[in-house]
Amino acid sequence: MRNASSWAAEATAVFVKEWRCEFRTRYALNTLALFAFTTLVVVSVSLGPLGVSASQGTAVLPVMLWVILLFSVAAGLPRAFVQEEETGTAMALRLAATPSALFCGKLAYGLTLVLALEALLTPVYAAMMNLQVASPGLLAAVLAAGGYGLAAGSTLVAAIIAQARSKGTLFSVLSFPVLLPLLLLSVELTRLAVAGSPAGVALPQLLLYDASVTVAGLMLFPAVWNP
Amino acid sequence: MKNPLAWLLWLWISAVIVGAFFYAPLAQGFIGESSRILFFHVPMAWVSFVAFIAAGVWSLLYLYRGRQPRHDRAAAAAVELGLLFGVLATVTGSLWARIMWNAYWNWDPRQTSIVVALLFYAAYLALRSAVEDDNTRARLSAAYAVLGLAVAPFLFFIMPRIMFSLHPQSVINAQGKVEVESRMVQVLLAGSAGFTALFFWVHNLRCRIQALSDRKSAL
Amino acid sequence: MELGGSGWIVAVNLIIWTGLFLYLLRLGKRLREMEKES
Repeated sequence: MRNASSWAAEATAVFVKEWRCEFRTRYALNTLALFAFTTLVVVSVSLGPLGVSASQGTAVLPVMLWVILLFSVAAGLPRAFVQEEETGTAMALRLAATPSALFCGKLAYGLTLVLALEALLTPVYAAMMNLQVASPGLLAAVLAAGGYGLAAGSTLVAAIIAQARSKGTLFSVLSFPVLLPLLLLSVELTRLAVAGSPAGVALPQLLLYDASVTVAGLMLFPAVWNP
Repeated sequence: MKNPLAWLLWLWISAVIVGAFFYAPLAQGFIGESSRILFFHVPMAWVSFVAFIAAGVWSLLYLYRGRQPRHDRAAAAAVELGLLFGVLATVTGSLWARIMWNAYWNWDPRQTSIVVALLFYAAYLALRSAVEDDNTRARLSAAYAVLGLAVAPFLFFIMPRIMFSLHPQSVINAQGKVEVESRMVQVLLAGSAGFTALFFWVHNLRCRIQALSDRKSAL
Repeated sequence: MELGGSGWIVAVNLIIWTGLFLYLLRLGKRLREMEKES
């Protein structure tokens, strides 16, 4: 019976392997960064000359930030599983790793990707769009909690679509309904962070969402992964 | 469905239809006779919700009680019907919104929730059509349905509460339970029960058709 | 019965509903026959 430390070792091994593979090709990093910054330029160029007022800014800019994050993740993350199926390494993984350790390893990888993207994107976004954030602490919390939700939901859906056809479009179709509550809560909280209002009931709900998706992921991943 | 039960259901829903127009009073604050549509809109939205839960439950049964094909068939049929009832509920709600607030769509939380539920149904069906192998298809779509079940509470309950709602439910209920006319409640409940029975009847027929079709293609 | 009045709407509803109902019963009967065959 595998004990906790070997489980942790497995998960870490998966995580390390993901990043090693990633650094070889830098596919996901490039895709996410390129997509994010291209979209950012589009948003900035189109909204900039119009001169977004402060009140409009509070309403519109948080939404755009999360839209950029969502689509960047959809562009770069699913490959984590699709690649395994395509290159045939999936079968080896099925033999070598326990499903929960694999899921957590992949999730940790996705999470670090998303957090890195957020860390890079948010300051640039705020600077380019002249966005004044009243509660940066709350914003950081939202980005962390929301980013986690994005990564967790996307990891599970990526595992599902990896075994289906038309993977690119199917990922967006499947993940969007799952992630929508997350996005709405995150946008709401980001707006509150910008305006400086208290978080209220939304933050616990966001954390509850994260917990739900994590539990669902851990529970369902073995069924998804193993035939 | 056995004939006597079916005729009872026919009588029941006929009574609901008649009751919606003649027995129940008009709701206060609504324009003209437009509140009548609620007696159809609410039960159908309710059935769509029931279908969602049912699909989730059958999916759980499929995954953890022996991977029986009949559970997979039941889940898929529930999603199909949930989509149908959901679309009907959305259309009736939208028509009523046009009369009441002069706009077909407002993105108020209840409307948002039903649209996302419809997206879930469509996504589930898209996933099924993208997998060829029967067992893999059943397994993956069951997993997705359970994921939907995990996320559903956030759609249906939490969101409407934190956002301002145009939906009359919060106006009628929040102002005190006494406000709702008991006759309206009776017709609404009766309608919901009738439509739910109808759902399970049609669902049963759909499952049997699929079972026969599966048997034939296996030969 | 004036066109557009409540009575007219109820009548149309009942006709459609009864038609659907009869269809479902017939479908059920046909299914039972097919199930007995196989």
